[in-house]
Amino acid sequence: MSQNITHLLKEWSNGDERALNELTPLVYGELRQQAARYMRKERPGHSLQATALINEAYLRLVDVKNVQWQNRAHFFAIAANLMRRILVDHARRRDAEKRGGSQVLLTLDDAFAAPKHGDVDLLAIDQALTKLATIDSQQARVVELRFFSGLTVEETATALNVSPKSVKRDWSVARAWLRREIGD
Amino acid sequence: MTSQQWQLVKEVFEATLECDSKERTAFLDGACCGDDEVRKEVESLLTAHDRDGDFMNEPIGKLIPDDKPILTAGQRFGHYEEISLLGQGGMGQVHLALDTRLGRKVALKLLPISYIHDADRVQRLEREARAASALNHPNIVTIHEIGEAESLHFMATEFIDGVTLREHLTNARMTVGEVVEVGAQVASALQAAHEAGIVHRDVKPENIMLRRDGVVKVLDFGLVKLIEEHRTEREGEVDPMLADSHPSFASTFVTSPGVVLGTVAYMSPEQARGEEVDLRTDVWSLGVLLHEMITGHAPFVGATPGDVLTSIREHDAPALPSDAGVPVELRRIVTKALTKEKSGRYQSVGEIARDLKNLKEELTVESRLKRFRHSDSNLDLSVKVTKQNLGETADNAATKTRVNNSNAFVKHLPEQIKHHLVLTGAAVILFTGVIALTYLAISRNKTDLDAGPKRSIAVLPLKPIDEARRDKILETGIADTLVQHLSSMRGFIVRSFNATHGYENPAQDAIAAGREQQVDYVISTSYELGDGHIHIRADIVNVASGQTEYIYQFEKTFSDVLVLQDAIADEIENRLRTQFATTSNPTTARRGTTNKEAYRLYLHGMYLANNRNIQDAQLAVQALEQAVELDPNYARAWAGLAYAHRTVSIWSDLTTRETHEKSIAAINRALQLDENLSEGHSALCENKYLYEWDFAGAERECKRAIELEPNSSQAHEIYSRYLMGRGRHDEAIAEIETAIDLEPTSKFNQRNYGRALFYARRYPEAVTQFKRVIAMDQNFVGTYSWLTSTLALQGKESEAYEWFRKLLSVRKVDDETVKTFERAYQTSGWRGVWREWLTKFDKVGGTNFDGAAYNAQLGERDKALEYLETVFQRREIWLTYLRVDPRLDPLRNDPRFIELLTRVEGE
Repeated sequence: MSQNITHLLKEWSNGDERALNELTPLVYGELRQQAARYMRKERPGHSLQATALINEAYLRLVDVKNVQWQNRAHFFAIAANLMRRILVDHARRRDAEKRGGSQVLLTLDDAFAAPKHGDVDLLAIDQALTKLATIDSQQARVVELRFFSGLTVEETATALNVSPKSVKRDWSVARAWLRREIGD
Repeated sequence: MTSQQWQLVKEVFEATLECDSKERTAFLDGACCGDDEVRKEVESLLTAHDRDGDFMNEPIGKLIPDDKPILTAGQRFGHYEEISLLGQGGMGQVHLALDTRLGRKVALKLLPISYIHDADRVQRLEREARAASALNHPNIVTIHEIGEAESLHFMATEFIDGVTLREHLTNARMTVGEVVEVGAQVASALQAAHEAGIVHRDVKPENIMLRRDGVVKVLDFGLVKLIEEHRTEREGEVDPMLADSHPSFASTFVTSPGVVLGTVAYMSPEQARGEEVDLRTDVWSLGVLLHEMITGHAPFVGATPGDVLTSIREHDAPALPSDAGVPVELRRIVTKALTKEKSGRYQSVGEIARDLKNLKEELTVESRLKRFRHSDSNLDLSVKVTKQNLGETADNAATKTRVNNSNAFVKHLPEQIKHHLVLTGAAVILFTGVIALTYLAISRNKTDLDAGPKRSIAVLPLKPIDEARRDKILETGIADTLVQHLSSMRGFIVRSFNATHGYENPAQDAIAAGREQQVDYVISTSYELGDGHIHIRADIVNVASGQTEYIYQFEKTFSDVLVLQDAIADEIENRLRTQFATTSNPTTARRGTTNKEAYRLYLHGMYLANNRNIQDAQLAVQALEQAVELDPNYARAWAGLAYAHRTVSIWSDLTTRETHEKSIAAINRALQLDENLSEGHSALCENKYLYEWDFAGAERECKRAIELEPNSSQAHEIYSRYLMGRGRHDEAIAEIETAIDLEPTSKFNQRNYGRALFYARRYPEAVTQFKRVIAMDQNFVGTYSWLTSTLALQGKESEAYEWFRKLLSVRKVDDETVKTFERAYQTSGWRGVWREWLTKFDKVGGTNFDGAAYNAQLGERDKALEYLETVFQRREIWLTYLRVDPRLDPLRNDPRFIELLTRVEGE
């Protein structure tokens, strides 16, 4: 498994887009499984560290010794999009549960919890991001990598094969755009 | 907007951000090249940016946590100082804080301001919460203070280092033992509260804390009432689904249409109907809790809270699944607690508490019985065991349960016990009625170790993925290092490496090993050696479910082998620590050598010493002597050497002074090197009571050893023998039981259990135990003479002789000797056998102490005392038991005996 993934990752980094198609489900399965495990354990005061999670998936799936450091950025590029899907699904489910749509999972504590402040609305971000992608797909990718995958500017630049300067600009504009789009 | 325009927007936006805000307008005028669309877009983006520049600045991972804490680390609040946020929810936030006046940690609950705007209400809350706290019950959380500071109401309670039952249920399925344990403790808390007239009304997993040491604490007495009143006053909306229910109830529990508190799942039918509730509502909730702990989900569920309530009102609780290993008695308890009509339910929590407590005790007996199921193929006991499929049980045709049909004895067992035999398909327990009854008789009211949140764990030797590239030393070395590391973790009880050393066959099934070791988890690790690196995969397998719960994979560069072992063990330890939220005890001794060869010799030597026979013990001495020669500062090896010497002296009947001195020297060396070496103190303890007769000193050392390593089976076993000799029988039995719990497969522990019973003069139980040990290993010869001695003391001479014959055949004694004994028995009965044995001392083995004992039994006082004198001169270890050995009873009035006893024990 590890060898296979490493191989595919190399192929894809070398420009073979078909490798990506094979790679995605493998990474997705792993991430989802791990995310589920983390989310089960989620509790107040503890947060889901998406970056840590992707990193762990990377270490588990990829034969780290046999890949170039750039491959890590490429792996994160795939993982970022998948992580977005997983987190948004999770948020959607949680929302549904809170509206009483599924089993009664609320506790007395949950039900009394004050409305959240300073929290991000993941579903709104997701929607806005989808819209942004139609205007500037590169910006949407940057957001995925920076926000959902936690890559640094430099790592993002490597993954997207662009300059750090361009990443910085896209990141700054995209955040303002999304902020406006989501509104209050 | 065209893509060109968009490109311009981006550039201008970025450039403008770098401008001074005053110059922005002028800059935009120039930069936008008169394109109004671009300009408007940039301005609007700038506005958004200025409004919240930190928006999405942090990756998602850091943005998921809940509301901001009211207090932050180090912040003062009254005379408290915040340490960390423990949790939060509708009842406010709970912080771990330091009470600066008393210097103790407390859980500080900050109540939401909105709930408490009425002095009366606060007082009532205070009264009720205090009343419960004042019960001073071990399972009710203690409230230190209720007050107000910085316009917030707070409650400071005892800090409980543990998790809520909800968290526990989310992370793990509970065993029947745990369910009953937790249920019994919760019931006990509620019973005390009820007796004081306090109804909890909100018994649910969120309000129950499991402390790491297994103590269960019930929280929030009285709080729910406060919230109810607050809701009643504030909320006017009524869920249409609840229109038919009592208005005050509806307003109490409905916050807005569609959102009903999770508490509905734990509500009693009378609560769901909006009727008056009494103490029996807590009985119901406890039933729901038990159901959820057993199955992992509450009994009444529905798509909406309204559905849940309807279900509670109208339907019977679903039956517990038949294949979940749930004892019939537990089903009965849950069914009775979940009876719709109050009158059919337990009428008080006290009743259910009592039933749970009884069940707990019975399960403890069973868990001991289970220890022997692996030896059933060897069983050669008075009642023959056969396996036969009885077919389906009456209460559920699908239950694939096998019971011991042909064993008439079982039929006469009390009804409840019989049910317990019918545990489940997988966990079939086959045993004889004799054992069952004896175990019932000797079972003590002792908390089962596996009932608490501590997890028992066994580390298997590593398995190579590629058999061609195998490094056996690495395999045992890593496992041993890992055992050392894990043993220092508070949340685990780790089987000693001696116990798991034998599972080195790569084909060994992890679950089978786990069952044999009676552990919750097995760590099964495989490795693959590459050029200069090693790939490790550790599977953390849950033995009960058979599932691999976690897999840790990582690579390490292959450097120094010992550094590597530590690195791997550290890695796994760290992950386990996070996963199981436990901490390490830093004082525990670690490997303690950097010399590879010394370490290898140590492992080898300890393996040999634990075989406990004279040849291996002598080889062990050699190996360990080499180890300390290679690394003279290797404390554990010195302690091991002391142990090996002692083993030689115990098993050889040789003059023991020399080995004793060597042993002492080695111990002293070990403790000089590492004062905190538990095995060093154990060894010292044993030496003190076996050879020096310094009993006070021995006890000190034994207690120190246990303090340093509470989960060391050896430390408890050594202490138990000390207690046997001192006539402190109950304590001795408790200690040996602990030793067995920690290392169930050790036949030495099992035999010493029999000895503890023997010295306590509980002969029938001792007989059963010795027989069981022989069933475990019929070549474990020392056990036969204990058994025959006990039977003879009971006057069961023919049975004693029967077992004596078995001993002769196991020892392959020549035919002629066998015939001599046969004749002796025919003419003079069991006494004839003893006489004959005394003349053939050398051939059948034995000690001078046994010689004294048999002579004493034969009425040969002088000879017996002569033997004892020899024992004394040679300082045989058995003198420790001079005071208690029942076989010496005929001598006890003799002044010479009394004088000897004084010589050994002092005045």
